[in-house]
Amino acid sequence: MKILGIDLGSREVKIVLMDKNSIIHKQKISTMTFYKNYCLYKNGKLEVDIKNLGFSEDVVAVSTGYGRNNTDISKFRQITEIKAHVYGAIYQTDLKEFILLDVGGQDVKVIKVEKGLITDLEMNDKCAASCGRYLENMSMVLEIPLEKLTEYFEAPVELNSTCSVFSESELIGKIAEGVSMERLCAGVNYSLYRKLRPLLFKFKGKRLVMSGGVAKSKSLAYYLTKDFDEVIMLKEPQFNGAIGCCSYGSLF
Amino acid sequence: MRKIGITTTVPVEILLAANCKVIDLNNVFISGDSYSEDIERAERDGFPKSSCAWIKGIYGACLRCGISEIVGVQEGDCSNTGALLEVLKTRGIKVYHFSYPASHNVSDITIEMNKFMKAFNVSLEQTEAVRTSLSTIRKYAKAIDELTYIDNKATGFENHISQVTLSDFDGNPQKCGQLLEAKISEISKRQPRKQLLRLGYIGVPPMICDVFEYAERFNACFVYNEVQREFSFPRAAQAKDIYEQYYDYTYPYDLNFRLLEIKKQIRQRRLDGIIHYTQSFCHRAIQDIVIKQELDIPVFTIEGDKSNCLDSRTKLRLEAFLDMLVDLRGLKQ
Ligand code: SF4
Repeated sequence: MKILGIDLGSREVKIVLMDKNSIIHKQKISTMTFYKNYCLYKNGKLEVDIKNLGFSEDVVAVSTGYGRNNTDISKFRQITEIKAHVYGAIYQTDLKEFILLDVGGQDVKVIKVEKGLITDLEMNDKCAASCGRYLENMSMVLEIPLEKLTEYFEAPVELNSTCSVFSESELIGKIAEGVSMERLCAGVNYSLYRKLRPLLFKFKGKRLVMSGGVAKSKSLAYYLTKDFDEVIMLKEPQFNGAIGCCSYGSLF
Repeated sequence: MRKIGITTTVPVEILLAANCKVIDLNNVFISGDSYSEDIERAERDGFPKSSCAWIKGIYGACLRCGISEIVGVQEGDCSNTGALLEVLKTRGIKVYHFSYPASHNVSDITIEMNKFMKAFNVSLEQTEAVRTSLSTIRKYAKAIDELTYIDNKATGFENHISQVTLSDFDGNPQKCGQLLEAKISEISKRQPRKQLLRLGYIGVPPMICDVFEYAERFNACFVYNEVQREFSFPRAAQAKDIYEQYYDYTYPYDLNFRLLEIKKQIRQRRLDGIIHYTQSFCHRAIQDIVIKQELDIPVFTIEGDKSNCLDSRTKLRLEAFLDMLVDLRGLKQ
């Protein structure tokens, strides 16, 4: 039977379909659209309209994510995000020992995996200053596309603020000083790395696996290679949670 | 009756033969309501932040209970005991030393035990007589252990308590035996537990005792308590004399010797995972590296400090670990 994995993110819903342990389909839908167009209210409960999504009803369905507990999806087996990401990373890398860094739009997770099991974890609380949203804001201020912004890592300009709102005015100050675009971008990337460091500090280790949207950042990977022997970027960092759902579903 | 405090398990047979009331200060400390006051007292008296809570607790409990004589283990247990004893000496407490020799051979152990008997003025015959008289109580402890891992009736915490009490027989072997006997009959009447996961607990006894109960909420049960079980000398009946009994005690000797027994128990008790408890600032925490390498089942490490209950982060970690372990176990079936 095919396995449908859904990761209900705060801004995007990621959907993956697996057959015989390989991914045969993946897609992203904005969270609003997903709730508006593909969900039904039945007896006060939210149900995903699998058919409308274009899948046959005859699937094993596993879900995770932000909306997981708000949606009582009877057809879905629900797993925690932590677990989904670990299953996803194991599926994508075939590794059993690593530290997983998942930087999403609004949250950061660091998970230690030993013998294929979670043995430690750390999450950001309260503030999203170390997340994707910070990079998005900064790319808007600098008027440079996100992908381009995350490429620069050399000679970062110093941005000291730990708060993303203050960072913004600090950055504008630096622009006014005439600092080059490359150094400004590198500064943004380096400050993200610096904000992640306290979370990662506990998890010194050999191998780091990066997932989540921010995992695509080349500069972040560059800075992290100094702290780990090996840094691996997942091929499908944004779909990792949904892939994990499928991988979990295929086990049972 | 002469009261004597101990800082860890020592040849209690010798002390009982000398007609002492033995008090394991660890038990007095951890089971007392004034547990945090014991620690505080030690800190007020100058114990550094960077020494472990057990050491501070033993110190506080020792003064609280008005102990005037104490046996400390200088070799084989805690590297901090030596300094602790020096401080206690200055508080007017008479100190006796005992060592589990690192050479770990019967002849060196014999020398140590003979020295100890001499210090308490008892003969080998007297010691052996006590050893025989304690065998029934040791059997009770073993029975509770079997009710845990064979019959699945005793909880991990009950197992823990019943094994640790044998370090000092609660100050009164006869009463201790009666309590265990009553416990056995109570537990035997129960229905077996149904948890899927079988966990082992290794490492020093926990500062945080709710770890047993908490883990058992997630389809898991503890069916092995490593050090606590060693405290009860489960193989005492097979030892031909007191020397051999204390030779066969795994905890104070090298890690490899400990691991042999742990590995045996992993197989025998069909464990799915191990919870390794370490204490902040304890040298034994470093052994975690080797333990994780050597054991072929998943090992989850918890570090305790001064608190006697699990913090929310550890709870979350433990839950995630057990959640995946249940998956794995489900696959095995
Ligand atoms: S936990 Fe470690 S440091 Fe503390 S008393 Fe025990 S052996 Fe010593």
